[in-house]
Amino acid sequence: MESLKEDLKKHIIEQLNLEDLQVSDIDDDAPLFSADGVGLDSIDALELIVLMEKFYGIQVTNPDEGKEAFLTINTMADYIEKKRI
Amino acid sequence: MSFITAYCQISEVTCSVNGNVVVQKNEQSVDTWFKQLYKELALEYPKFYKMDMLAQAGFLGSEFIKKGYPDLIPSYSDDEIALLFANSESSADTDIRFRDSYQDRKSPSPSLFVYTLPNIVLGELAIRNKFYGENMFAVFPKFAPDFFLQYGNIMLASGAKAVLAGWLGILEGRVEVSVFLIEENNGDGLPFNKENIIQCAGWGDQA
Repeated sequence: MESLKEDLKKHIIEQLNLEDLQVSDIDDDAPLFSADGVGLDSIDALELIVLMEKFYGIQVTNPDEGKEAFLTINTMADYIEKKRI
Repeated sequence: MSFITAYCQISEVTCSVNGNVVVQKNEQSVDTWFKQLYKELALEYPKFYKMDMLAQAGFLGSEFIKKGYPDLIPSYSDDEIALLFANSESSADTDIRFRDSYQDRKSPSPSLFVYTLPNIVLGELAIRNKFYGENMFAVFPKFAPDFFLQYGNIMLASGAKAVLAGWLGILEGRVEVSVFLIEENNGDGLPFNKENIIQCAGWGDQA
C-alpha cells in the first residue's frame, strides 16, 4: 500500500504538471482539492480520472464515487485497492 | 498621442526588456528555457507550470515588463488595460501535443485540451493581473504591425487607458515573442506607430 501511495504521488506530480512539488510534499491525508492542501482544480480532477484508467485500468464512471475517491491520497489508494479485487 | 513605454522580447536564447538583454539561456541547465525565465522572475505562481508554452510566453513577457517597471500596470484600474495579442500559429503547438496525447499515447489530456485555443493566454493574463477590460487575440499569416496600430488605437479610443499587446510566435521550439505596453497618458517612451511596433518586435525585416 505504501508503494502504491508513492507511485500515485509520482503519477499525480507528473501528469498534473505539479513541477514545484516533490513526493514528500504531499501528505497522505492532505485534501487534494483544497487550497490548504494540494490545491488541485477541476481540470486536475479530469486528469485524475484519465490517470486512474491509464495507470490502474480503473474507469471512474460514477461522479459521486469519484468525488469520494479523490479526497486524499489515502482515499485514492483505498479506491484503487478495492477496485483491483 | 500614445506611447510604447515598455517592451519585452523573448527569443529561443535571450530575453530583453526595452532592448537590454536581461536573461541569456543557460544551455547547461536541466531546466527548460521558459522555466529558467520563470525562476529569474522569482515569482510564487505555481499555475505557471500548468500553462502551455503560448500562455507561458504571454505571462513571461508581461511579468518581465512588470518587473522592470513595477509602477506602470498597477497605476490603472482593472478595466483600463486592454489586451491585444496575435500570432500566426494560433494554438498549434498545443494542438499538436494534444493530438499526440490521444493518438500516440491513447490518453487525451484534459490539461492540454484547455489550451487548444490561442485566446486562453488572455484569460491567464486577466486572472494573474485581475484585468477586466477588452481583449482580443487574432491570427495572421505573418507579423502584422498595422493590426496592432489600428486595433490598439481603437481600444484606446473606446475606453482603454493602456494596451498590453504582443506577438506570441510559438511552434515546436520556435520562440518569437514580443510583448509591449502602450500608454495613452505617458509620454516617456516610443511614439506608438508602425515603425516602433516593428522595432519592439525585434524582427523588422520580416514585417
